Amino acid sequence: MSVAVNVSPNSTSLAASKRFAKSFKGIIFHKGWLAILMVLVIWQIISFFLGGRGLVPSPARTAATMWGVLASGEFFVQLGDSLVRLLIGFVLAMTLGMIVGVLMGSRWFWNEFFKDIVILGLSLPGLVYALLSVVIFGTKLLAPVMAILFASYPFIAVNIREGVKALDKDLLDMTQAYKIGKWKVVQQVIIPSLLPHILAAIRTGFTIAWKASVLTEVFGATSGIGYMIRFNFQMFAVRGILAWSLLFGGVMILIEYGILVPAERHFARWRPQILEEV
Amino acid sequence: MTATAINPSQIPSATRARRFAQAMKGFLISPRWLFVIIALVVWQTYAVFRNSRLIPTPVKVGATMWRILTSGIFFEQLAASMTRILIGFSLAMILGTIIGILMGSRKSYDQFFKAMVILGLALPGLIYALICVMFFGISILAPVTAILAGSYPFVVINVAEGVKSLDKDLIDMSRSYKIGRGKIVRQVILPSLLPFILAAIRNGFAIAWKICTLVEVFGAVSGVGYMIKNSFDQYAVYGIVAWALMFGGVMLLIEYGLLVPAERYLARWRPKVKQVI
Amino acid sequence: MAATAVSVKDLVKCFGDLRVLDNVSFDVEESSLTTIVGFSGCGKSTLLNVLAGIETTTSGIAEVSSSKNLSARLGYVFQSPRLLPWLTIEQNLVFVRPDAVDEATHLERVHKYLEMVGLKNVRHKFPYQLSGGMQQRAGIARALCIEPAVLLMDEPFSHLDEITAGGMREEMLRIWQETRRTILFVTHDMQEAVELGDRLIMLDYHGRIFVDIKIDLPRPRNLTDRVFIEFYSDVVRHLQAMQTIRAEELAALGVS
Ligand SMILES: Nc1ncnc2c1ncn2[C@@H]1O[C@H](COP(=O)(O)OP(=O)(O)O)[C@@H](O)[C@H]1O
Ligand SMILES: [Mg+2]
Repeated sequence: MSVAVNVSPNSTSLAASKRFAKSFKGIIFHKGWLAILMVLVIWQIISFFLGGRGLVPSPARTAATMWGVLASGEFFVQLGDSLVRLLIGFVLAMTLGMIVGVLMGSRWFWNEFFKDIVILGLSLPGLVYALLSVVIFGTKLLAPVMAILFASYPFIAVNIREGVKALDKDLLDMTQAYKIGKWKVVQQVIIPSLLPHILAAIRTGFTIAWKASVLTEVFGATSGIGYMIRFNFQMFAVRGILAWSLLFGGVMILIEYGILVPAERHFARWRPQILEEV
Repeated sequence: MTATAINPSQIPSATRARRFAQAMKGFLISPRWLFVIIALVVWQTYAVFRNSRLIPTPVKVGATMWRILTSGIFFEQLAASMTRILIGFSLAMILGTIIGILMGSRKSYDQFFKAMVILGLALPGLIYALICVMFFGISILAPVTAILAGSYPFVVINVAEGVKSLDKDLIDMSRSYKIGRGKIVRQVILPSLLPFILAAIRNGFAIAWKICTLVEVFGAVSGVGYMIKNSFDQYAVYGIVAWALMFGGVMLLIEYGLLVPAERYLARWRPKVKQVI
Repeated sequence: MAATAVSVKDLVKCFGDLRVLDNVSFDVEESSLTTIVGFSGCGKSTLLNVLAGIETTTSGIAEVSSSKNLSARLGYVFQSPRLLPWLTIEQNLVFVRPDAVDEATHLERVHKYLEMVGLKNVRHKFPYQLSGGMQQRAGIARALCIEPAVLLMDEPFSHLDEITAGGMREEMLRIWQETRRTILFVTHDMQEAVELGDRLIMLDYHGRIFVDIKIDLPRPRNLTDRVFIEFYSDVVRHLQAMQTIRAEELAALGVS
């Protein structure tokens, strides 16, 4: 059973900063670091014994490479290129996914109509979209954009569909009895109840999107994180691959857990159960 | 509200036949075919109109699919991929179940593994695929290791959730009736874990075959991913589409024909079965 | 004679082939408290929904009017509170402001009625932070704060435990006497109906009016008074008669 948590709107900023300090302490002294430390130690030992072959670079050397690409600013240049593609593709995917999801959630006909293609879309690997876009569009911007669009819209559509289906007919009846205007109902009833689902859609869709975009860059791009990973693969430089992917993964985790998850939790604060972590 | 409980075994076969007929009718007369028809017509028209080597007609894709099916090459490559997937995923199930049980039962284990699992969920399969190919070349160790590393976190989160949702009251109840340990495991713990394990298999498997394809693209001389890569190198879009659709079809068949029904059956005592679509 | 607040004439409501309300006619006087009873599924909620404009009529008339200068506004208290979960209690009441009322006046009324139902100090909480009884009271305050001509109440206390429900009934009567709103109160609980109403309308299995009687008992009513018990027994006898007729009908249809 969940315990009701008292969310008071006028909690003082002092309390808020205290809470922040506490959660910060929780992060610093978290046992999770122990696991990561252990992995690093094992990794160091392995690389020590296989030393010199370059195939298993030590964590220290990997870190040095990471520092190198960070300090030279190259990481941010490539990250910028990747993010532009990602954002364009993802905005399109959100648009398409919302339209399909709303249609599927509100009408039986459209649900049946789109069902098969959405299920197929959910299950085909991003690799397929990446390869197809690269063959068809080459190194144009359209390649990653299309791959992202088709790989991630199904995930957005199913989340939105769930949200539309979960709209509470009783509440809508209530607004009708009280003769509330249409626009006000959209603003204050429909959008708030859809919001958690929209945010969940953004979160799952975004994860799929950036993976698809990296893949497209691997096969056909002349810049971006994926291109750098590909470059290092061809140079047989494991530490390059590790450095680039860990940095990029880190940025994505930061976006997910630093922005998207808190946003989701904020907009769901009226719900009794606080969202389960991970 | 009046709800009448219907026991399926009591339905006379005449009604069952009628229901089957109705379900078939619902399947045949459905807007889904409208979509298929519209999609095929639009695609065919566009491909003919563009007349580009890069945009194959659906007829050509269909012919390719038919060719690789009848020549037996599809099953050959499918078998190669499936072997890798099954070995890698079995290992992922073992590792994921162990960690999942640990995380679900002790808070300190949960904290210990959490960061690793989050990182594992977040990193794209591509990285495991590339690194394993560099380490192991075309040996079977490459796909197996990549699948293991890429899919075990998905197993972990499902199993951990199952263990966390075990009902302590039911275990206490069994203890109070002096029921033996083995019987508690078999009749109390296992049944409530099974739906979660099935969900773990379903989610993990979906990741596993995708990673396997990736590994085969970068470093293998057989398997569906290798065939896709071959088509890619020849700019043969029809080949990529044909292989991807057929492989995807087989995986959908496994998921919706085997795993989903199994999950629904094992969770039939639960009031609400979460249905994806 | 007092003015008519609700008038229902030859009302028929069908859902497809299912005839839920059949030729229902009755008028309700202003400031009265009428209880509507019947078995669950007989069409009580549908009747209120038609009055509230949530459902259309199949034929006949169902309208709400008012002699006072109020526009014929409706307050509706549902079986479940139907509060918007993402709004605080106060925001939920602010939400239903009619267009004709300006914001400041409405906010004043919101506070007045929150005070009346005893929720003023929890008005900044979300619904889930309140008990079921408090949520139901918020629903009542929401219906009152638009100063409605007629208050529709659909089994508002049936989800509550008996002790809470008893307290809520007393409170509702107090508010009714304070505000003199016309109330249509639906319930499946005969005792509750007799305890609260000036008048009792019983619907039968076909959605027709079976009984329509005045409840001429003095207030405050005591469930253990002889007159109360006699009246209540009368109502139960009507109920039994209705069941007998139903059983005969079913037998005639060959259903056991
Ligand atoms: N929107 C609807 N569509 C079809 N049937 C309905 C609908 N609403 C109610 N009904 C049916 O109408 C009958 C009366 O319902 P209702 O008015 O809710 O009964 P109650 O007296 O218990 O409040 C029931 O048989 C119910 O199944
Ligand atoms: Mg009802």
